[in-house]
Amino acid sequence: MKVELKDIHKRFGPIQANDGITLSIEPGTLHGLLGENGAGKSTLMKVLSGFLSPDRGEIRLDNKTIRFDSPAEAVALGVGMLHQDPLDFPALRVIDNFLLGSPREFLLDRKYHQTRLAELANRFGFRLDPEARVSELSIGERQQLEIVRLLALGVNVLILDEPTTAISTQQRESLFRALSQLTEEGKTVIFVSHKLDEVKSLCSKVTVLAHGRVTGEAAMDCPTKELVKMMFGQVLTVGKRCEVRLGEPILELQNLSLSDWRLEVKDLSLKVQAGEVVGLAGLEGSGQQLVLRACAGLLRPSAGRIWIAHRDMTGRPYQDFIEASIGYMPAARLEEGLIAGMTLAEHIALTERGPSLFIDWTMAVERASQRIREFNIKGQPTTFVGNLSGGNQQRTLLSLLPSQPKLLLMEHPTRGLDMESMEYIWRLLQALTQQGTAILFISSDPEELLERSDRIAIFFGGKVRMMDTCGASLFDLGESIGGKGFE
Amino acid sequence: MNKEFIRRIIPLQIAAILLALSLSAVILTILSISPIDAFSLILSGAFGSPAKLAYVLTAWAPLLLCSAGLLVTFAAGLWNIGIEGQVVMGAVFATGLMRILQDSLPPSAVLLLAALAGLLGGALWGMLVGGLRRYGSVNEIFGGLGLNFIAGSLTVYLILGPWKRPGIGSTSGTEPFPPSLWLPGFKDFQASPIEMILGLIAIASVAIALRDTHFGLRLRAVGMNMKAAFLKGVPVDQDLFLAFGLCGALAGLAGWVLIVGTSARHNLYPLISSGYGYLAILVVLLANLKPFWSVPISFSFAAISMGSLQLPLQRQLDSSLGGVIQGMLVLSVLVINGIRSRWLRHEG
Amino acid sequence: MMGSKKLWMVVAVFTCLAMLLTACGEKKKPEPAKAPEPAPFVFGVVLVGPYNDHGWSEAHYMGGKYAESKIPNAKMIYVDNVNPGAKPGVTIPQVAEDLISKGARIIFTTSDDFKDGTLEAAKKYPNIPFVNVSGDHAWKEGKDYKAPNNLSNFMGRMEYGKMIAGCAAALTTQTGKIGYLGPLINDETRRLAVSAYLGAKYAWTNILKKDPKKLKFKATWIGFWFNIPGQTLDPTKVAVDFYKSGYDVVISGIDTTEALVEANKMAKAGKKVRAIQYDYKEACKEAEEVCLGVPYFNWGPAYVKAVKMALENRWTQYWDWDGPDWKDINHPDTSAVGFVKSRGLSQENAEKVDGFIKGLADGSINLFKGPRQFQNGKTYLKEGEVATDLQVWYFPQLLQGMEGRSK
Repeated sequence: MKVELKDIHKRFGPIQANDGITLSIEPGTLHGLLGENGAGKSTLMKVLSGFLSPDRGEIRLDNKTIRFDSPAEAVALGVGMLHQDPLDFPALRVIDNFLLGSPREFLLDRKYHQTRLAELANRFGFRLDPEARVSELSIGERQQLEIVRLLALGVNVLILDEPTTAISTQQRESLFRALSQLTEEGKTVIFVSHKLDEVKSLCSKVTVLAHGRVTGEAAMDCPTKELVKMMFGQVLTVGKRCEVRLGEPILELQNLSLSDWRLEVKDLSLKVQAGEVVGLAGLEGSGQQLVLRACAGLLRPSAGRIWIAHRDMTGRPYQDFIEASIGYMPAARLEEGLIAGMTLAEHIALTERGPSLFIDWTMAVERASQRIREFNIKGQPTTFVGNLSGGNQQRTLLSLLPSQPKLLLMEHPTRGLDMESMEYIWRLLQALTQQGTAILFISSDPEELLERSDRIAIFFGGKVRMMDTCGASLFDLGESIGGKGFE
Repeated sequence: MNKEFIRRIIPLQIAAILLALSLSAVILTILSISPIDAFSLILSGAFGSPAKLAYVLTAWAPLLLCSAGLLVTFAAGLWNIGIEGQVVMGAVFATGLMRILQDSLPPSAVLLLAALAGLLGGALWGMLVGGLRRYGSVNEIFGGLGLNFIAGSLTVYLILGPWKRPGIGSTSGTEPFPPSLWLPGFKDFQASPIEMILGLIAIASVAIALRDTHFGLRLRAVGMNMKAAFLKGVPVDQDLFLAFGLCGALAGLAGWVLIVGTSARHNLYPLISSGYGYLAILVVLLANLKPFWSVPISFSFAAISMGSLQLPLQRQLDSSLGGVIQGMLVLSVLVINGIRSRWLRHEG
Repeated sequence: MMGSKKLWMVVAVFTCLAMLLTACGEKKKPEPAKAPEPAPFVFGVVLVGPYNDHGWSEAHYMGGKYAESKIPNAKMIYVDNVNPGAKPGVTIPQVAEDLISKGARIIFTTSDDFKDGTLEAAKKYPNIPFVNVSGDHAWKEGKDYKAPNNLSNFMGRMEYGKMIAGCAAALTTQTGKIGYLGPLINDETRRLAVSAYLGAKYAWTNILKKDPKKLKFKATWIGFWFNIPGQTLDPTKVAVDFYKSGYDVVISGIDTTEALVEANKMAKAGKKVRAIQYDYKEACKEAEEVCLGVPYFNWGPAYVKAVKMALENRWTQYWDWDGPDWKDINHPDTSAVGFVKSRGLSQENAEKVDGFIKGLADGSINLFKGPRQFQNGKTYLKEGEVATDLQVWYFPQLLQGMEGRSK
């Protein structure tokens, strides 16, 4: 099936996620879609698979313009998407998931479908026990189940969004074999990834996206260097922070091991000193968030120790970390950072600790006004935080950090801010480091990482590599984020 | 905000009330009952005479107390369905204390201590819900329902067992307390000002606590965004526990009122909570969690409850039709609010 | 400033609502009150169960209807389902206030559960006569006399009805096991259970000439006059348990009809079981073939007496405990207590029951006569001693030979 996307636009609030993307994919090919975080890959694929409807633009399948209003309609027309986190029902059995959304029959013929499941799975060398509970499967097996399910539904175009982030090498190989086999059978496969080597070894053609636009297309003998250029642009920033006087160690991680349901970070040791800024780089979900949350006391390490200012904090509750003078700023503004239904002044009053029973509102309002001036927030002390624009929410989030913390842990501190505010915020943060605050921050902006950090910890599938920024180029960083040096 | 409230919310609440009335009218008409007849019966049943008004006020007091408690738990984002059991346990503790002390202390002292016992009983039962939630990962709705059931069974056990009337084995109740242990009323107006004043004080204190104390602010933060509140350093578990305790205490005080109130039955009987807790949930929902509004709304709910007793008396209708009207009110408000937030999402 | 604005809004909303409702209400009013009849004499009745329960409450409802038919211009108004299950928190003074405001000039409260509430209401409305059915607050010789002058009591001597029921049960049982489905436990219910037992024992030993040891009589109490889920034992379950464990006749002592309903189901499934109903004359109608009969109250005459006293302004306090009219125990105008046989009772046994009734009528059979022992072995009546009213009314314990709790 031939897939064509013409001039696709999609906007989320202030963010233009897809800005006029045109793209054509030949039937029976394995097409790569490459790009940095936030380049617009996932949005584009969600548009193609019916999860999102575009603001503008046209989708053509085999030269016919079509329109879907739901993923189910897309599947009916032959387009299915395998999501980064499988959208299955963990409480059900494999066979039940397989049957979900499928046959329009009233009474299910389980025997028949079981044979079908087994047949399809065998064809691709997948091993799936129909009676197993999905919750007991690994991510790789859940992917296999989803692929088999989509194929059983008659999908001709299969989209895979970052399928290899959480699966074993063996499962990856078996997945790649299956994908090649599919293209041989005439199906079209779109492989979304940020991993250069995977795309290079697997795809016949690749399209590179950046900032919601197509920045290049190449057949797959294209050298890596070219691809990196297409991904990160021509301007190659070089790290500038070379002379920083560092104080005593503030944060020490000793052989730290962390894991969540899809990822493991093993045996990480890291020392961050007073005044130091360490950037955590890597694609989202490569382990940097796990480390940051562990440092904030929000995730209990499975092994190793965490020291903050010479105190062993391992396994202590979050409250103790706050008292040890850390400041944590989550990425999800309205989910974790702010309380939409409360005013700025209420946020100020909330972070206040004291013996008094009643709130001193005059004081809270006064201090809110002060932060509003300092952080250039467009709002009043009585404005509900939910009514602020994204950038102002981000500024509010920053303004609520403790005033002189020993350690600041921030996820995407300047996301959604314009250049000017970004500069201003970093000046404030650098003033803090001069007073001895150590900063650990996650960012998906390679330029920001290079420019603002003394060192960068690059994460790739749970592995960590340290990099000195002094003299390093954006190109070096880009390559490392793409997995170079991790083999 | 307040302008927004008057401009947008109030017309919607009025629309909801009209919707509720018309839906109830439809139901009544289907049951071949004249809705106008039924509504005016309810109205005259609630306000037809001073004595009737007194009964409305009698029902109002426990409703106010329960609503005050629920304002606390709702602010914290908790569905304290267990409030019925908390009322019952307040009544049980109050009864227990009065049984022990009624012959040895002056009546006013007994009444006062019984009120404290009621507060304690409700608070303990409320904190049990909190404890189950915290340490047993039992959702407060299920925990509350379970504890309601246990509280109900416990009263039946006490009434048929240790606290039974001599020579009688009936679930109808314990030995009534003598008039000296009733809250004083007026000669021709059988409602005690003490009950109402307590209820109004409770609502006012809760309103102030939620707005102007650190505890109240933290609770609201937890209710609106538990995760963000936690990350801001709010001791979430401890505060939720306190919220359950506070709500339980106020519900327990309502239980005490149901024992000693001027127009109460003056004894412990099964189902003593009389659904006041559940009704208060509707009150607070209808008031959109606003303390101020829960005052008139609880009053009108008390009026509907008492007024609808006229239906069986006058027209051989079931008095539960009053409940239908109350339920319709709440449903209409929820539906209209739901539609409103859909609009807003589309606008945004 | 804001506060007063808010207050204004609240007031406005509720006045609108009130105006709306009253406006609607007023439209209704002009509907003409009918032809100029003399104002009716209204009497109020408070029922513990539904007015159509085929049991205790319906018997009272019928009693009220009877009074309406006998006294020109008398009109009944009633509130039913006044119990903690259906109307939790509703008190007798409250219901009384309501009935009085609707014009009631005398109020009947028809349950022992209303005893305390009626006393409170009678004190509160000293000008309104109250009658509490089955109570003893107005019995000067009784143990609990504390009623004000406007409060009277009446009750039927159901002992006889229950004796006849027990007799019919014992004549019919094949297994020798009779179950008594009891309500709550108090003087009245102990008295009635004992009466049924005495009737059964008499039939078993004196008519059938069987070994008294082979007769089993067991009372199970559910905790209230009828089923309140979660508060009482489920009478359906109790009845089924009786039948399943070999009790082939169950005598109902509760207000409602579960025993007969279950017996009917069992009979349809081929089991030979029978039930005896209680309270309401027509109670066997549901399943006449499995019903042996029903001892019932005929409240009509008592209602007529009370309403007439109030109507004719000659109210004095009284305590009535009326028995059957032995000339015709089923006479609607004279007999306070009766027994209707049903088709479940065989012809032969029916004749024996008639003989038993005759014996009761002419005094040749007196079952409250010694020697009788209590369950705990203590003497209730010495050899030849005949029980006084006080001894019968205040029945402290079940008798020896009965199974079941005494309190």
